[in-house]
Amino acid sequence: MATAADPYASTYRAPAATPTLFVDATVLDGRGARLDGHDVLVEQGAIVAVGPDLPRSPGQRVIDAQGAWLTPGIIDVHTHLGTFLQPLEHGSGAFADVAETSRPDPADVWIEHAVRAGDPAFSHALASGVTTLQVLPGSSAVIGGRTVVLKPVPATTVAAMKFPGAPQGLKLACGSNPSLAAGGREGFPDSRMGVVSHLRAKLAATRARMREGDRDAAPDLAHDTLAAALRGELPIHLHCYRADDIATMLAVAEEFGLHIGAVHHATEAYKIADLLRERDVCAAVWPDWWGFKREAEDGIRENAAFVDAAGGCAIMHSDIPVLGNLLHLEAAKAAAAGRRAGLDIQPEHAIRWITSNPARALGLDDRIGRITPGYNADLVLWSGDPFSVRSRVLLVMVDGVVHVEGGRRPATDFELGRRALELAH
Amino acid sequence: MNRVAVFALACLLPFAAGAGETTAIVHARAHPVSAPPVEDATVVLRGGRIVSLEPGGTVPDGARVIDAGGRDLTPALFHPATQLGLSELGSGREAAASGKSRAGYALHYGIDANAQAIEQARADGVARALVIPSAAADDVFAGRALLLKLQPGGDIVDHADVAQFAYIGTDGSRAHSHAAAWQRLHKKLGRAHAPPQPPGEDPIHADADDIALHAVATRSVPLAVVAHREADIRQAIALARRWDLRVVVVGGAEAWRAAPELAAAGIAVVLDPLDALPADYDRIGARRDNAALLHRAGVTIAFAASAQGIYTSWNAGPSLRQAAGLAAAHGLPDDIALAAITRTPARIWGLDPRLGTLAAGAEADLVLWDGDPLEPSSAPAAVFVGGREVSRETRQTRLRDRYRPDPPR
Repeated sequence: MATAADPYASTYRAPAATPTLFVDATVLDGRGARLDGHDVLVEQGAIVAVGPDLPRSPGQRVIDAQGAWLTPGIIDVHTHLGTFLQPLEHGSGAFADVAETSRPDPADVWIEHAVRAGDPAFSHALASGVTTLQVLPGSSAVIGGRTVVLKPVPATTVAAMKFPGAPQGLKLACGSNPSLAAGGREGFPDSRMGVVSHLRAKLAATRARMREGDRDAAPDLAHDTLAAALRGELPIHLHCYRADDIATMLAVAEEFGLHIGAVHHATEAYKIADLLRERDVCAAVWPDWWGFKREAEDGIRENAAFVDAAGGCAIMHSDIPVLGNLLHLEAAKAAAAGRRAGLDIQPEHAIRWITSNPARALGLDDRIGRITPGYNADLVLWSGDPFSVRSRVLLVMVDGVVHVEGGRRPATDFELGRRALELAH
Repeated sequence: MNRVAVFALACLLPFAAGAGETTAIVHARAHPVSAPPVEDATVVLRGGRIVSLEPGGTVPDGARVIDAGGRDLTPALFHPATQLGLSELGSGREAAASGKSRAGYALHYGIDANAQAIEQARADGVARALVIPSAAADDVFAGRALLLKLQPGGDIVDHADVAQFAYIGTDGSRAHSHAAAWQRLHKKLGRAHAPPQPPGEDPIHADADDIALHAVATRSVPLAVVAHREADIRQAIALARRWDLRVVVVGGAEAWRAAPELAAAGIAVVLDPLDALPADYDRIGARRDNAALLHRAGVTIAFAASAQGIYTSWNAGPSLRQAAGLAAAHGLPDDIALAAITRTPARIWGLDPRLGTLAAGAEADLVLWDGDPLEPSSAPAAVFVGGREVSRETRQTRLRDRYRPDPPR
């Protein structure tokens, strides 16, 4: 947890902004309600009131939505932005900052130490309605290191993007990625069973040292991370595709008293939807990725809908920058597949998959992901139903500050003076 | 849940119209693509062909009647650049040339009609697909693209030699700088006008690369140049002019910057409307309205969505429609967007101009949609290939039905 003395603390401060009243919006509140013809009042970075015909006050900016749709800001729990840096520089270790691959278990690394704040993908994500996102280390390591939660606002340092008070997470990976990353190297597990035993051994050693009162004086950053996870301070984000792999990792979590916040990719989550609900584990998935590798061959388009129908926590995630700009359509496709399978999934419900459910997986569901008084004023105004390809983002607000409006988004340093971007030439 | 599904072969077999059977689709909002939409259309299919398309047309005696209920009926989708059927999983090794040939590399030997992606694409409304080679590691030429006809059964390769592919720049052949790639293209194609020795199409005695390049040099097949950077788009125009080639640009993230020149040269672009990020240094100028800007300048366009390669082969149908929908949402007229995933690919690759249209005499490849065909959330209600309604059962729908949650109590 950040303290006054924390050298890595967030330096993000939302600038002061004019109080804003959205009038006559079609509000999806992020928790399952659709409120037609409602007003939303924003003051000092927070949502203050939601209701029909809210009183107007002098000094407010009034935005007449004229029925346009207002949703909470989109939350993306799985990105590599700032580390899978756009543009990629081919042939020069372009992916080097996505994961530390020198060791099978770099629990000591913090992905925030690799993030380029000026990645243009942050600005594109913001312009697409994303107001909070998590950056995770890649999945080539069993224990990948610490994640970070950011606001994709214009910034020069990662500290100025860090979500104040947001817990870091711990990235774990199962299945073929960590076992294939071995490449015959000494000390790297090269099978599924090796990956699991490697993780169990590390957790067991950490637990034993904690029980001894951490008397070992030698500083050990990896131990610090695993100990924090065992104390419940770091939500676990697990890269895993297959139902059997996920169930195995849930057993490991049970063995060590760990709580997994979300299993990511989870193309077979629908096969164990009840188990995920019982363990209070979210499934962060794509709507339609399958077949591109063996452990993804059983992916189906109803995955999120079936997890949801079981009472579980379904989330749409991006993983690649292109999809991070299209999460509303990812949710649209997943909801439509569910409806076609006979489930009643309305827009006010499906919006949870990209707002309040990811907020929960990040441990931030008391602050973001909803349009309700007291929540951060992270809002997106859409020209129509956000689940239609024909709708456009009209405005994006973070903590009450408008960052995107009228088709204009913040230009990153990279984009300045680039002739290839100039429309008139 | 987890009910064990009964494996009943019968439900895999949809209604199969015999060759002489007549089918009439009535009350459709038909999009011929080659002509304006027709409300309340009756479309008659017989012998694998479209016989007629008329507003309120009469139903021939004995025809099987399908009531479209006012829903949209379009030509089946045509994917202009995919790798469907080359491998069951995503290794990609099947798509890149190895061994001796590069330009002569022929993919049809590697097509697996039983690959799950084929069945999925057909159920998603794709009837035609150009299967393209990946970049070769050591040459600018990647090989020959083929045309699939996604009819049920094992016989799906319709045309083995539709286009030659060449990859430029950082997204392609690692062994070549941009400059080296263009110099090799000029050198090889400039010499390829002479017939291969020994002459003819004899693959045993003539060099396969020479035969393939001769076909490009003599305009019998187009050269697809996979390139994104404005400078390379301009080089492609110059190459086409210098050697009088039929060139198609594939990729073209910065093609909008040379739109008038492309239009003047009659060079079409197969682009990815999802491609709106500066993903690499050849694509700094990527924009969501690339399609609209090109169309406005008079450039012929078709779409192929990649999502880092995963949509290319494993979500060929839905990603094409999402691409068209995004382009339409960013300024492209709806009819051009629909044409870009049905009719235009056939035109671009120099194939039968009736492919991808609902016109009398055209092959009866069509899809009835349950909603706006440009919305990613829509899906086919019926798919016809060669005049027959094909099954929309796939391995995915089997898994869906096995794990379908119990209805709420």
